[in-house]
Amino acid sequence: MMTYLELTDISKNFGNVVAVKDFNLSIKKGQLVSFLGPSGCGKTTTLRMIGGFEIPDSGTILLADEDISKIPPNRRGIGMVFQSYALFPNMTILENVMFGLKMQHKPKKEMTSIAEKVLDLVRLQNTAKRYPHQLSGGQQQRIALARALAIQPRVLLLDEPLSALDAEVRVALRGEIRRIQSDLGITTVYVTHDQEEALSISDMVVVMNNGLVEQIGTPQEIYRKPDTRFVATFIGTANEFHGIVTDSENVKAGNLVIKTSGLHNFSIGSEVVALVRPENVEVFDQKPTDSMVNVVEGDVDTITFHGAITRLGINAGGKMITADVTITGRNILSYHQHVWLSFNPEYCKVMAEK
Amino acid sequence: MGSLKKSKPSSGQIFIVGIFIFYMILPIIATYIFSIATRWDRTILPEGYSLEGYMEATTNPYFFITLKNSLVLSVASVLVSLFVVVPTVYWVHVKLHSAKPLLDLLMILPFGIPGVVLALALVQVYNFQPISRSPLLLTAATVVFTMPFMYRSVSNNLAAVDIPTLTEAAQSLGANTFNVLWRVIIPNIFPGILSGSLLVFATVFAEFTLARLIVGAGFKTFPMLLVEYTRKDGTIAAGMSVISFTIAWIVSLLILWASGKGIKVSRESIGAR
Repeated sequence: MMTYLELTDISKNFGNVVAVKDFNLSIKKGQLVSFLGPSGCGKTTTLRMIGGFEIPDSGTILLADEDISKIPPNRRGIGMVFQSYALFPNMTILENVMFGLKMQHKPKKEMTSIAEKVLDLVRLQNTAKRYPHQLSGGQQQRIALARALAIQPRVLLLDEPLSALDAEVRVALRGEIRRIQSDLGITTVYVTHDQEEALSISDMVVVMNNGLVEQIGTPQEIYRKPDTRFVATFIGTANEFHGIVTDSENVKAGNLVIKTSGLHNFSIGSEVVALVRPENVEVFDQKPTDSMVNVVEGDVDTITFHGAITRLGINAGGKMITADVTITGRNILSYHQHVWLSFNPEYCKVMAEK
Repeated sequence: MGSLKKSKPSSGQIFIVGIFIFYMILPIIATYIFSIATRWDRTILPEGYSLEGYMEATTNPYFFITLKNSLVLSVASVLVSLFVVVPTVYWVHVKLHSAKPLLDLLMILPFGIPGVVLALALVQVYNFQPISRSPLLLTAATVVFTMPFMYRSVSNNLAAVDIPTLTEAAQSLGANTFNVLWRVIIPNIFPGILSGSLLVFATVFAEFTLARLIVGAGFKTFPMLLVEYTRKDGTIAAGMSVISFTIAWIVSLLILWASGKGIKVSRESIGAR
């Protein structure tokens, strides 16, 4: 498939503050791409540049091969959904949804039929005559989505659309957004600081930090093969073992010698950090056989129940290690219990220290 | 807060509110009574009542001329104020936030500068035809003088609504600047515009100093006629005062009635936040 939306060397400063630097991204038609990062990382600024609400200091934005960098927002044909819903309080739901169509001078009949269709899409047909304040937050955001979809936008932008909603609604609505997006095949850019949200609905995730792109990849790539330490620690949780490379596959971290799947990119003696996800740490209540590698002894310090998994904090000679386990009836752990941990070298991601 | 709202007012609270209302309303009642009193200096209540004051006031050839002049001046001030203040405050809120402290400061000045000083300064500076001592200059002066009322009302209303986001939402849906203002912003700040307009209208209608010093007898306003009568006959002056604030009230009610729908919707919108 050909590139549909292309951002090339985009930079934006606010005074002395670098908001976005040398941002490059190609999005194919129909993809849902998330910008993920902590607040102030430049994700919203980039989104606003696509929408036309900020003008890049340098670089170009191509939409279907047309340079839209300097076109005002009202002539870009790009729909936007805001964190605060931004429904027009003086208009009914139907008037809100028809607003964009009115701006396009569509005939009344067509407007009504499109409005009905999009209200149907977000499953809120019966709210047409009500005012925004009469709806719940989740309903208002669905109307905002319907309003943006009514103009049949070339690109749909969602700026932290679920941040103002409570957890249950958030999960339900993100599923709905994804369903509608893929049904309509609408190219979508989604900004969020919630990694779970980004990983669960995106075709592609752009992880940003301090105005720079850290990594672009599928959710699986971002989670399993982080390119940078920031990505590894920002997405999910990771145990960090700081140490020195001793040979082609071992890292010495304090008293521990960690076996990895290979350290060919590092010279002996270089300072590295080995990262292991909690779900890749196995926990045993008896000493495992000698054939196992990367075995660490420790005592259970914290137990936090998360439903499907239980997260253990294990004190291994002063070093805290996090492990996620699925506890069934037969292996219930207790506080201060002595345990053995092990992790496969395959799951050990090594990165340079600095 | 909830318990404070629900509990009945104490007798002390009722007393304080009662005193306040009495303090505010007594001069108005006194003026009404005085305007229909024959003689009221030897007894607690007037010795007799008649409508002679009103008859005499309305038969004065200047009565309707000054009334018309004051209405024209008030309406013109409201219109100029709307066209100057509303877009300015809007742009400051949306684009030029750094200018807000400066504007806030400027809006205190009309309260700090006495009307006399403003009037004399304007007469000095605009001492050329056709501006000099014209109703045009007077309108400009009353607009400056009443600007804080319009500015404050509109600015507070703008602050209560998320204007920048609503603007961007409208733009993303294809609205140009006119449509953003006309269909989205103005309906949502209508209560502020309305209360600002009422304050400007009422203030200009009762304004004496600026009118007296800038245009003088050339464009006699209602308060000028009223002041003339205070030197001749207190009863007639009282009658004119009554007419003056009755007009202000009627105009207020008319504006409120005519825009009933707008207010209802906007109140809902603000209530939603």
